[in-house]
Amino acid sequence: MTRIRPFVFSLLMLTLFSASAFAQNRRVSGRVTVEGSGEPLAAASVSVVGTTIGTYTDDQGRFSLSAPDGPITLRVRRIGFAHKTAPVGSGDAEVAVGLSRDVLQLETQVVTGTATTVSSINAANAVTVVSSERLNRVPSQTLDQALAGKVPGALITQNTGAPGGGTQIQLRGVSTINAGFQPLYVIDGVIVDNSSIQSGLNTISQASRAGNLAQFSSTQDQNVNRASDINPNDIESVQILKGPSASSIYGSRGTNGVIIITTKQGQAGGKPTLDLQQRFGTARLANTLELRCFASAADTRAAGFDSTGYGASTNKCHNFQKEFYGEKPLNYQTVASLRGGNVSGTTYFMSGLVQHDGGLVNNDFYNKQSLRVNLGQPFGSRLKFNASLEGIHTLTNRGVSGNDNTGINPLNAISATPPHINLARNPDGTFPRNPINVVRNSNFFQNAELIKTPEDVFRFLGASSAVYTAINQERQTLDFTLRGGIDSYNDHAEIISPATTYIEQFNALPGTLFVSDGKVMNATLGASATHRLIRDVFTATTSAGFGQVRRNVDIVANTGRGVFPGVTNVSSATQIFTNQTQSIVKSSSFFIQEEFLTLGERLLVTAAVNSERTSNNGDAQKYYAYPKFSASYRTPTPNFIDELKMRLAYGRAGNQPTTGKFTFLTNLVLEGVTGFRASTVKGFPGIKPETASEIEGGFDLTMLTGRARLSATQFRKQIDNLLLQASVAPSTGFSSQTINGGQIVTHGTEIELGITPIQGERFSWISQTTYASNKGRVTRLPVPGFIPTSGSFGSRFGNAFIQQGQLVTVLQAVNGCTALSSTGTCPAANRILRFMGNSAPDYTMGFSNDLSFGPVRFSSLIDWRKGGLGVNLTNNYFDGGLLADTAVGNQRLRDFGAGKAVYVENTGFVKLREITLGYDLPANLTGKLFNGGVQRARIELSGRNLKTWTDYTGLDPEVSNFGNQPLGRFQDVTPYPPSRTYFLTINTTF
Amino acid sequence: MKRYSTIALGLAVFATGACKDNPVANPIEAPTIDALGSLTRTSLQQLTIGAMAQSRSETNNTPHVIGSGIFARDAYRIESSEPRWVTETLGGQPDPGSFAGGRGFNGFYTAIRAYNTILLALNTAPTALFTTAEVNAMRGFIRTQKAVDYMSLIALRDTVGIPIQSNAPDEVTPVRCKAAVLSYIAALLDSANADFTAAGATTTLPVTLPSGFRTFGRNYSTVANLILYNRGWKGKVNYYRGIDRSNPTPSLFPTAIAELTLALGGAAPGAVPPANFANGPYWVFVPGGSEATPNVISENTIGLNPLVGDSVQAGDTRASKIVTRAALLEGQGLSTNITYVGAVASAANQARPLPILRDEELVLLRAQAYIEAGQLANALADVNSVRTNYGLLPLALFADKQTAINAVLYEKRYSLLFEGPQRLMDLREYGRLNATFLRPETTTDPFNAALPLPRGELDARGVTTNPACTP
Repeated sequence: MTRIRPFVFSLLMLTLFSASAFAQNRRVSGRVTVEGSGEPLAAASVSVVGTTIGTYTDDQGRFSLSAPDGPITLRVRRIGFAHKTAPVGSGDAEVAVGLSRDVLQLETQVVTGTATTVSSINAANAVTVVSSERLNRVPSQTLDQALAGKVPGALITQNTGAPGGGTQIQLRGVSTINAGFQPLYVIDGVIVDNSSIQSGLNTISQASRAGNLAQFSSTQDQNVNRASDINPNDIESVQILKGPSASSIYGSRGTNGVIIITTKQGQAGGKPTLDLQQRFGTARLANTLELRCFASAADTRAAGFDSTGYGASTNKCHNFQKEFYGEKPLNYQTVASLRGGNVSGTTYFMSGLVQHDGGLVNNDFYNKQSLRVNLGQPFGSRLKFNASLEGIHTLTNRGVSGNDNTGINPLNAISATPPHINLARNPDGTFPRNPINVVRNSNFFQNAELIKTPEDVFRFLGASSAVYTAINQERQTLDFTLRGGIDSYNDHAEIISPATTYIEQFNALPGTLFVSDGKVMNATLGASATHRLIRDVFTATTSAGFGQVRRNVDIVANTGRGVFPGVTNVSSATQIFTNQTQSIVKSSSFFIQEEFLTLGERLLVTAAVNSERTSNNGDAQKYYAYPKFSASYRTPTPNFIDELKMRLAYGRAGNQPTTGKFTFLTNLVLEGVTGFRASTVKGFPGIKPETASEIEGGFDLTMLTGRARLSATQFRKQIDNLLLQASVAPSTGFSSQTINGGQIVTHGTEIELGITPIQGERFSWISQTTYASNKGRVTRLPVPGFIPTSGSFGSRFGNAFIQQGQLVTVLQAVNGCTALSSTGTCPAANRILRFMGNSAPDYTMGFSNDLSFGPVRFSSLIDWRKGGLGVNLTNNYFDGGLLADTAVGNQRLRDFGAGKAVYVENTGFVKLREITLGYDLPANLTGKLFNGGVQRARIELSGRNLKTWTDYTGLDPEVSNFGNQPLGRFQDVTPYPPSRTYFLTINTTF
Repeated sequence: MKRYSTIALGLAVFATGACKDNPVANPIEAPTIDALGSLTRTSLQQLTIGAMAQSRSETNNTPHVIGSGIFARDAYRIESSEPRWVTETLGGQPDPGSFAGGRGFNGFYTAIRAYNTILLALNTAPTALFTTAEVNAMRGFIRTQKAVDYMSLIALRDTVGIPIQSNAPDEVTPVRCKAAVLSYIAALLDSANADFTAAGATTTLPVTLPSGFRTFGRNYSTVANLILYNRGWKGKVNYYRGIDRSNPTPSLFPTAIAELTLALGGAAPGAVPPANFANGPYWVFVPGGSEATPNVISENTIGLNPLVGDSVQAGDTRASKIVTRAALLEGQGLSTNITYVGAVASAANQARPLPILRDEELVLLRAQAYIEAGQLANALADVNSVRTNYGLLPLALFADKQTAINAVLYEKRYSLLFEGPQRLMDLREYGRLNATFLRPETTTDPFNAALPLPRGELDARGVTTNPACTP
């Protein structure tokens, strides 16, 4: 660091004083409009090519700037429109420019560094940009759900169908086995936490370590990941840096890709615009399992079920799935936003959100309220401040789903409860006892009524930045940027399972109470300098800076057993278990980057290095370098091709070790007294980050005057120094140690095709298709093959397995038997383990189509996942029991006993992810609304996940019992069923 | 220009300040062993409890009390879901990869690491917080506990040998043969005894021991009683060194007798009051709560070998340890209708304490040492003191050594039933763990005498079978 610092400093000083001034001695003004309609276009950027001179248009589309003498060329850009250049003669003072709509989003600014962006025309990486409009076309509960099907190379899975999130995004395949596996979220330059705090579900589901009363969490808890707090309506655009070749600027947080969110800003000089959006909707059970029907105990007995203790017959065959998951919630979302600015340069954007999503079960819901303010204020001509503050509150009650060992999961109870049994609430408000003992007499209607699982989150996001323009000359600028922000939240989760429920009677101390309080804080601070030098033959952008990130986590979780009904104070429990988790991670980094644009803006070459140290590394003082090199070239093309860009990028990013540096002390209890001994996992003082190097190449082709665009990308990502658990000689007193070793190599292809088959005044059709495929293979493994520490239900059903030469996403299962026993079952010793295939899809495709007929607009998004294997344990619950197709169920059970992998299934599907029908109210009608205050009004009908086509026999091929793990998520265990959601939206702009 | 320079300077100062931030974040999730630099009374207390909890956990693991009982033909464990309780004990060889071979090993070494960590920390115990006598007493206690775990390890591994753990956490040490290990344990116990001597008999440990070390007739918090405990183990170790069938050292029998006599408070042969028989440290189990550590013996799939019931002598009140099972325990060619009273699954049995070394065992060990030393009359006195306590008539003077051995084996079997690997060790050393003396329990009964080194240990050494031990 000491050697680097003077270097950076002298570079800054050099650029400060080497500038020569250009004369600016005439004014050029003009007007920018939408081509065709002539509507004025506000906030368009107008710049003089070859200089740094530029300005923005006002809300009348007008601009004025001072320009050098002689003929000049103006470049006019605006998001959502194709850019245009206009020559201005030496004597001209007035110019008019019309921009045409950029329906295929060919032109955006792509992030290349902490303070730099580049036009997508020149970008060397395949960065997917999702605009606000595409993001919010159909309401979704959370941002990650809204991204489904829109990002090639992103595999989005949900750990439950329950309201309120629990979504994981995996970009370009599996990047780790034991380290962090979620992409990094960055909002307006500030790192935003996407952790999941344990919900405590394990206290009542006992999915993991059944019988251990102190075990309050597991990877099967259906936790909410906190990126779900982000309000999609505040987002201007989302950029997805899918791999290290683009994300190396994020150092040891970049391996899993980065999701960069830019929120909406106001516009200086703009008239205040008030947007009001009201949505009403509902959700419906999308799928059920076909079950047997018995109307009476006699029928049940006749079907061969043990009827001991069955209650009185209701003479009705209940469809418990429909009765229980039959809520028809009224969902709503109210969004209000105000944006604008004044002539002195103040800009503002304020927005508020109130959202309620009900679940399919009585009492399940997801509520969210948020308030955001983004402010911008220049101070003088050289200093500009931006500040934003957002407060978010979410409250979820997601009920119980997924694996359990207590009968508390409704589908588990349904799988054992013959349908003639009446479980509905009695007139006096009590519930009948389910006579079925194996599910602990669980009456799921009673559970839904009495058991509460609230998780209450208050979150604050604050960011501010200051940009000082030290040099602002015609052909040179120098900006200093200082940026900082904090993301902090308090997560209060409770599980209240009163002693009055039937299932609690099976506990030695009935009545369970779990109370957890988590405090998570992420702070980001960075400073950078960006120098832009424009010469006739090149434009050079040099940037350098440093940053710091700090993350604090402190979670206290208390489990109480033996709690009076109605008591919600955990200190009143008969037996109390306490657990605290704390961590601090500190990182600091510095970077330098050079972007060189030359050959008539055809060739862009970028080189950068980011050096970072973090307290999680064995040597906290050591800097690890993450370099990046890239080049893009827009080749001269024949007339029918507008643009052809070839691009190549290389970058390296890291993944911080999470634990492994230290030998911790483990606590043990002896006669009620807590003591410590060294953990059996030995610390490794030499631990370092996993490193991912990626090379990405491809081309972007635009044809037919912007009506067709094809982008193709091929990448090779290599992850080295994987964090692995290595066995050590147990006589040392330790059993394992975290080491760095091994390698995964992933190859993949991503294609985006956008075409506008019809583009007329009244009628247009825009079609976008994405394709992505990737496969990761373990190419080196210094430890014996192993089942990842992630959860699974054993090889008889299927699990992930890490072995050299195999796909990292391979599914291993028992499939075959060397010799069956006389009863036709396969003894444990005779089972044959096989690799069944790839759990990840062969490829994914998204088809998005937008049709406009005048004021009517229709859009749809179809999401196709081809192939991929999963384990359907839900079938195992119903086989040989209540499954309607008894022949299939019984055969499956027999085959399972004989050692066949009958529960491994293809999880491929086609989903109608989004569908919208919108209507713009005619101007003569909107003009009459609210005394003519309404500028635009629009009505939309939309639906999400309306239809699924799949061979999968379970409820939803997308669901994952183990959300919070990088591998082996593919277990389907009595999940919360998927829902179809419908919305009516009224959108008004004042 | 001046303004720019000011700004640039400001940024440079800012950058310098930021880079100066201490990049090291100590983990606060849980303390690390590196954090033990300076011992406090609280940390010593917690480390002692942690290490002892680990010892209890592994002692309570299946090989120590159940596995050794099966090998010594006292116990059966028959479970349809776990046939290896038979196939790897009475029906075939134990597999180092799992189950039997993999147990009764790792956990003891984890405890030994914990004891070694405490011993290192004691070297720098602040004199402001601990007196020298307290440090010495503590060191003696920890060394004794460590010796006890090594004794458990060698009891299960016998001639296979075991490694002696180094203070360097990465060092994989050679597998030492039994004689070398026993000699190491003896030296360890002697150095502990020297610590006790240095501390003085009246010194009290600076930690509160678990109730199992305080309330069973003797409080081991004082050095005076710890010396009894230490000498008891030393006498036991020297007896087994003396009788070691592959490396006998008869000269150690008188030493063993002297040490055992000291441990028994100087009582002459036959003069140990029966009221003291149960005195000694115990592992206490707490089945429920956050501890949730039940005694593993409380398990209905455990039964007694029918021979235990057949050979009990009429009038022996220890027959109360043998109860008739509610249902026959059978499978894999074995069957029994009796079980150990403590094996019946119940809350009370889950909390039943497990003796570590009680006076009754010391009396019988002394009898064994007298037999080997040729002092049959003294041996008879000790044997009879046990017999008469359980309603049996005293025996007449042994006609020969074999008769004496038969007598002492009978007393040890019923006195120490389900208390550890004592009978296994005796059968091995007397050369009686074979078809000459015992009936084969299955057609393929290999008369297993020891467990192999676990797979993890073999893997770390790059071998697939037990390596030759280093003398």
